[in-house]
Amino acid sequence: MKAILKYSALLLGLAASASALAHAPFCECTALDADTIRCVGGFTDGSDAPGVTLDVMRAADNQVLMPGKLGADSSLTFKRPAEDFYILFDVGPGYQVEVEPSEIKGI
Amino acid sequence: MSGNSKLRRQWLRWRFHLSALLVLIPLGFMPQYFHEAKLDRGLRGLGEREIGNLQVGPWTARMAEWEVGEPEDEGRAGFVKAFTLAFCDSCSPQVKAAYLRIGQPRSLRAAGGLFAGTPHQQFAEVTIPARVTPADQLWLTVEGWDGAVHQAQIPLDQASPSLVAWLEKTRSNR
Repeated sequence: MKAILKYSALLLGLAASASALAHAPFCECTALDADTIRCVGGFTDGSDAPGVTLDVMRAADNQVLMPGKLGADSSLTFKRPAEDFYILFDVGPGYQVEVEPSEIKGI
Repeated sequence: MSGNSKLRRQWLRWRFHLSALLVLIPLGFMPQYFHEAKLDRGLRGLGEREIGNLQVGPWTARMAEWEVGEPEDEGRAGFVKAFTLAFCDSCSPQVKAAYLRIGQPRSLRAAGGLFAGTPHQQFAEVTIPARVTPADQLWLTVEGWDGAVHQAQIPLDQASPSLVAWLEKTRSNR
């Protein structure tokens, strides 16, 4: 009985590990008030993302409006720009998340 | 389950059959296993569904949808779909990086998922944000070692009819 339980646990562990390998980045932004936006970044495997780049970009020319990095709590709070913008969570080449203003919760 | 309880007697009688059942369970997954093993070994081509040949600047490439069907749910990261790519033999050494995304990239910095793998079969996953519609296009951005950047577009209904069907279903439910 113990052996069956042991091997069942091992099989379950192996099955679960396949999903644990996925680690896509995500970025969720919320408007705290009319002027302030807070973004939280991370990975789908549960990893945090302290120190990862999160730039506020100018929509007109794709230049960086406000350079930033996530804090120790994997979040960044910034003032909402007056001009058209979008948010670029940049983990590295091939791993970015763009957040449009329409995708910010509370706007 | 102590002594000669009825439960213990039942357990002793049926545990062999239960262990045989545990051996049989994986057999149900064998067709899917062999299907995926053939895909992984390239015996089914570049992917489950070949999209065709593409011309990207001076380079030619073949592209395929890795698995036909609905995109994979990656939780908080949203839905993703995998595509495969193979440049022509003489093209591969000239290509530094290839990226794939839905919709025109705003810059090379955010050109999409990065293709990775062997020259004969490279993988990239594209994210499918909520703003994507069936009329969108897949954008392939290729950067050469000489610094040149070339792009090609594929309408989503050509790239992945199964993704378009999923978009039509999910977008109409909003």
